[in-house]
Amino acid sequence: MIRIEHLYKSFAGAQILKDITIEYSPGKCNMVIGASGSGKTVLLKTLIGLYEPDSGSIWYGDEDLAAMTYDQKKKLRQRIGMLFQASALFDFATVLENIMFPMDFCTDWSKAQKIERARFCLDRVNVKGADGKYPSELSGGMQKRVGIARAIALNPEFLFCDEPNSGLDPYTSSLIDELISEITKEYNMTTVINTHDMNSIRSIGDNIGFICDGMLLWQGSRDSLDSTSCPQLRKFLRIR
Amino acid sequence: MIKEFIESVGQYCLFLKMVFRKPEKWKIFWRQFLAESEKLILSSVLLVCVISLFIGGVLVIQIASNIENPFIDRMNVGYMLREILILEFCSTIVALILAGKMGSNISSEIGSMRITDQIDAMDMMGVNSAGFLALPKIVSATLLSPLLMLLSLAFGLLGGWVVVSLTGIIGTNQYIEGIKYCYTGFYVFYSGFKMSLFCFLISSIASFRGYYASGGSLGVGTASTKAIVTISILILLFDLVVTQLMLY
Repeated sequence: MIRIEHLYKSFAGAQILKDITIEYSPGKCNMVIGASGSGKTVLLKTLIGLYEPDSGSIWYGDEDLAAMTYDQKKKLRQRIGMLFQASALFDFATVLENIMFPMDFCTDWSKAQKIERARFCLDRVNVKGADGKYPSELSGGMQKRVGIARAIALNPEFLFCDEPNSGLDPYTSSLIDELISEITKEYNMTTVINTHDMNSIRSIGDNIGFICDGMLLWQGSRDSLDSTSCPQLRKFLRIR
Repeated sequence: MIKEFIESVGQYCLFLKMVFRKPEKWKIFWRQFLAESEKLILSSVLLVCVISLFIGGVLVIQIASNIENPFIDRMNVGYMLREILILEFCSTIVALILAGKMGSNISSEIGSMRITDQIDAMDMMGVNSAGFLALPKIVSATLLSPLLMLLSLAFGLLGGWVVVSLTGIIGTNQYIEGIKYCYTGFYVFYSGFKMSLFCFLISSIASFRGYYASGGSLGVGTASTKAIVTISILILLFDLVVTQLMLY
């Protein structure tokens, strides 16, 4: 479980996140929705410790992120998987090496064990015959799948996805959504997804938080989306 | 501008602190070290050899054409060539050439990784990205660059010998006698030390600029340009300081 309390973050005097308080439960697809520039990516990067918050606290279970030492943060990050907007696969490594990369650093497994685990992850995301290919040789959808495979390589407790559907066609988008949802339930992960894709929100969003101008204005389930009284969310959803 | 400079120096020091943390896995470090040695040092061998060969030849002609006094022994051509090559060309000028090649290579590689979130992805995995990316480059460039300096010296002298043999501008024996005349071993150490220091500056500053690149592909280009300008100025500045400290 992840708990965020009164989180504030600013850049060069511009307040990006304002008093965000939210809780993410395991085994659910927790979605952060909002227009471009609303602060979703900053929230995600602050959550995983890439940005330092101005104030407020982030709890992973009963561990406070702000109180962690460098080594403790490193240990925590090994329990986190992340799928970046542009996949962020390493250009210098093949598909198999990309998935083995976190294992190289965080485990003492033998090479055979790492290859076995990497192949298992690739099978799980339905990528076949791409072991020796470089990221530049893959399509956008394949890159996302490999990104997911890399994110789950260490069997993480927490999975973060930053706009997993961006740049993908509707069919591939729905496949990626289904994959994320299945993996979340299968491994009981606490998954946080940044998106503004309405199909994703309506199909896999278990717990949805709407951010507008850095403030969390609404939180609820996908079933309660259409009956919201929040005017900004209604405008975002184009509900009259 | 002064504030910006002080901030950059501070940020560079913090960057070096991250870089020189103990590697997570020595096995991975050595693998990267070998790969970077091939990419940065081995791939520069041809460039260094070709430039040194031609400059050696050109210097012989220039020196010979400037010694017209019959009382000055013609063997001084070889002697002067050797001194020029050891003292300045093989370290400072070769380092300035490498600043362009190595510097832009390193800063654009790391900068591209920064703007495509690959560095964030490493940090996310609990990997010390600065150490993983920059340390093997810095160690490889610093430790192995004196070999390039020696190679440059050898090919510079070879270039001079080729010109001497082909043109007969001075006798080959005189040339070789000049090369051997008043040899000071310390100068080779001094030159090797300078080369090592300059390549440390090249690799660390280029890595630093790339690591903090922002603003898309334009930002990578700006980082690369800034890196090469900074490196070039610092090479000249440190050349002056080191020469004063070691030779005077």
